[in-house]
Amino acid sequence: MKNISSKQLVSVGLLLFAIFVAAPLIIGATGRWDFYFTLTSVALLAIASAGVWLTFYIGRINIGQGAFALIGAYVSAILVVKSGVSFWISLPAAGIFAAIVAIVIGLPILRLRGVYFAMITLVLTQVVTLTALALPITNGAKGISSIPLPSGVSLFGIPIIPDFAAMESTKLAFYYTACILMIATYAALYRLVNSRLGHLCRSMQQNEELASSIGVNISYIRMVIFAISSFFGGIGGAMFGSIAQSVYPSSFQVADSVNFMLNCFLGGLGYVFGPMLGTLVLYFGWDLLFELGKYQLLVYSIILIAVIRFLPNGLLSVRIGKGASK
Amino acid sequence: MEQILANGIYLGSQYAMIALGLTLIFALMNVLNFAHGQMYVIGGFVTYTFYGQWGVPFVLALVMSCVTLAIIGALIEKFLFAPVIKGSAREESTMLLAAGIAFLLDALILLIFGEKQRGVPKIVDGVFNYDFRLIMPYDRILICVLAILSIVAFIGLMQYSKTGRALRALAQDRIAAQLMGVNVDRYSMIGFALGAMLAGLVGGLLVTITGVNLGMGGATSIKAFMMVMIGGAGVISGAIWGGIILGFMEAIGLAVLSQYGDITYLLIFVSLMIFLAIRPQGLMGKPWG
Amino acid sequence: MSALLQVKNVTKKYGGLTANNNISFDVSENEILSVIGPNGAGKSTLFKMISSFTPTTSGEVLYHGERISNLKPHIVARKGIVRTFQETTIFKSMTVRESVIVAQHLRAKASLAGYFWGTKTAKEDVAAFGIYADELLEFLGMSSISSELAHNLPQGNLRALGVAIGLATAPKVLLLDEPFAGMNHDETMQMVDLVRSVRDERGVTVLLVEHDMPAVMNISDRIVVLNFGEKIAEGSPSEIQNNEKVIEAYLGSVDDEIGM
Repeated sequence: MKNISSKQLVSVGLLLFAIFVAAPLIIGATGRWDFYFTLTSVALLAIASAGVWLTFYIGRINIGQGAFALIGAYVSAILVVKSGVSFWISLPAAGIFAAIVAIVIGLPILRLRGVYFAMITLVLTQVVTLTALALPITNGAKGISSIPLPSGVSLFGIPIIPDFAAMESTKLAFYYTACILMIATYAALYRLVNSRLGHLCRSMQQNEELASSIGVNISYIRMVIFAISSFFGGIGGAMFGSIAQSVYPSSFQVADSVNFMLNCFLGGLGYVFGPMLGTLVLYFGWDLLFELGKYQLLVYSIILIAVIRFLPNGLLSVRIGKGASK
Repeated sequence: MEQILANGIYLGSQYAMIALGLTLIFALMNVLNFAHGQMYVIGGFVTYTFYGQWGVPFVLALVMSCVTLAIIGALIEKFLFAPVIKGSAREESTMLLAAGIAFLLDALILLIFGEKQRGVPKIVDGVFNYDFRLIMPYDRILICVLAILSIVAFIGLMQYSKTGRALRALAQDRIAAQLMGVNVDRYSMIGFALGAMLAGLVGGLLVTITGVNLGMGGATSIKAFMMVMIGGAGVISGAIWGGIILGFMEAIGLAVLSQYGDITYLLIFVSLMIFLAIRPQGLMGKPWG
Repeated sequence: MSALLQVKNVTKKYGGLTANNNISFDVSENEILSVIGPNGAGKSTLFKMISSFTPTTSGEVLYHGERISNLKPHIVARKGIVRTFQETTIFKSMTVRESVIVAQHLRAKASLAGYFWGTKTAKEDVAAFGIYADELLEFLGMSSISSELAHNLPQGNLRALGVAIGLATAPKVLLLDEPFAGMNHDETMQMVDLVRSVRDERGVTVLLVEHDMPAVMNISDRIVVLNFGEKIAEGSPSEIQNNEKVIEAYLGSVDDEIGM
């Protein structure tokens, strides 16, 4: 793409360096191995947040990503545990299943706008949790536990992905897997936003009537975007389940859906990489505040409110003028 | 049958009050108050503290719940929502702020009242039993009557008082209301306080029956959202209908579907989706967009 | 002369109110036809029905003999009938050039996935869109403002942007919604020239809804007059000017409008 500036190339290079070289080095030096889990979580939550950001791009406030993450986690877990399918097949299957659910639900609800869409997606999260509690296949409140680790994959006898169960520590393997998935997600998101689909989304975000007058099939584009968004949610959720080796109805709740939304807002809705930054800051912020014990939530919410009060356009808006990454 | 009807009225009257507060705030400021459930929980804890712990008469404890929430609501509106609404034209910012406030109230509840489930002594003993076809404890009947009286009082206030007229003018058209000489800032604050107070009042009423715990906040908000969507956002009659309909659906679901596990809410959600596909503005809402 | 667009017995009722009653007229190829009438005559309802932004209660609109009423707006646009809006309906935070490029959506040869992967066809499309956008803006005399954000434009330019967005779809029929509303005499004359050159040089048939009488008399080949939802006259500008019903119903009320 000719519109990638050298500055952007440098930023991407720095990001890759930070993920694959600097972070492991620092963790190795400090011995804080628990940071691998934190960073892996950030990467996976950032994937789900990317989906939420995409629905913002067509002008819909999506507070239902927790539902799709939970669906993805259950689909993968059920496929691996009950049908013995390889995790690496269950992962895309989870994404696709979440996308299909999104299409079915999207037909009626994508016509809603503004707070109406926000409300119904929030309700959706709660309903999926309740459904997981009620259905026999999801095993109710007990959930699905002791999910086997991802098995190895080899093509024509050449190993492509090693067997996670044979590893001494899966932390690093999961970290790399999550980061690669996250990079793929954001590369796809960047490409999508800068391709014609992205331009059509922008036109819909700004004026749906005008968009339909120039021949944009707005209900179709909405559906496609909601499906892609939920695909990201499903992938993130499935990967999470695999790392935790368990899924419960409470694995993704309303608070998670709200957090996905907060990640996007906080990072800034105008920037493709906003949700990634938002997730990192929120999750790390939450983690760092752990030392505060019972005051954790209090301090966290006060900081959150202060940010909204004084930086209404998100964290990345601070560096406007230095050429935002859009 | 009679039992379902009675349960439906009982649940519906509580729900309608919760939805009324939410819809009032939405109508006045176009704010979706995520923290509504938390306000309800605080109302419950205040009544628990005064009535359950300190032995203050129940009615006085209820008044304390109302006052506490009215003050909290007014402060939140004045120092958080009003400046954020002025500073940003996008409705997303207020939604984000509301989510932040929900977290903050959760944190405060956790610090002040703890995370344990709390209950209070029964306000009236005894059970009304009509031939074993309709069984209802007297305290539930009393709470139900109090809730209905509160709704009637609220409607009366909105219809006939000066404050109510100003609030309705504000809800209909902010700019027109301003031109007519309504003090928009002041009445926004009053309206928000009133909405929060309703949440607190239901919390105080229901603590006598279900008790109260930290986790109830989110679930209550979600039910309130469903009611508002059924009835139509920002419409008072819609909130009441939404509350009654959800109350009845739950009562019927619990009675009929209990042997199939907890799928009542799944069915309610599916019917809500089908309903919204046909009528996106809800029962009483005005068509839009 | 065969009709390109036929409005046949179109009626629209809102509850008990009849906004349009049994309206019929034809639009010929390469014609500029105006629908006029005093405020509340049902012009904009008729306009919305022709562009399928609202369904008809009864009757139909035909294009090349094929029904285009009661469809989705984007399908009508795909058939080549494209409407414009009044000035507030724009892509606010796009530049003029971006708006015109996005509006060429229907001309794309590559699929959406093709654009994602950056296929050869997609790259050709992108290049062609840019060239066409520049050419179109040049034609409309808007080259100098091509990189302005739409919400920074003055009112007169917004109207032109609306026409540019409409034209970018390469329509066969362009439906203009009150293109002269709120314009002063000079701006109106510029717009009249623009609309005429759209027809003359681009071969686009134009149907417009308007109540600015002098401009309409100047620009139109034929005029349809509505009053209280009924068609009361149809004909050339000079016929309309001398039609008694029109003078009575419409021109009489012009005094009121001037009085305002």
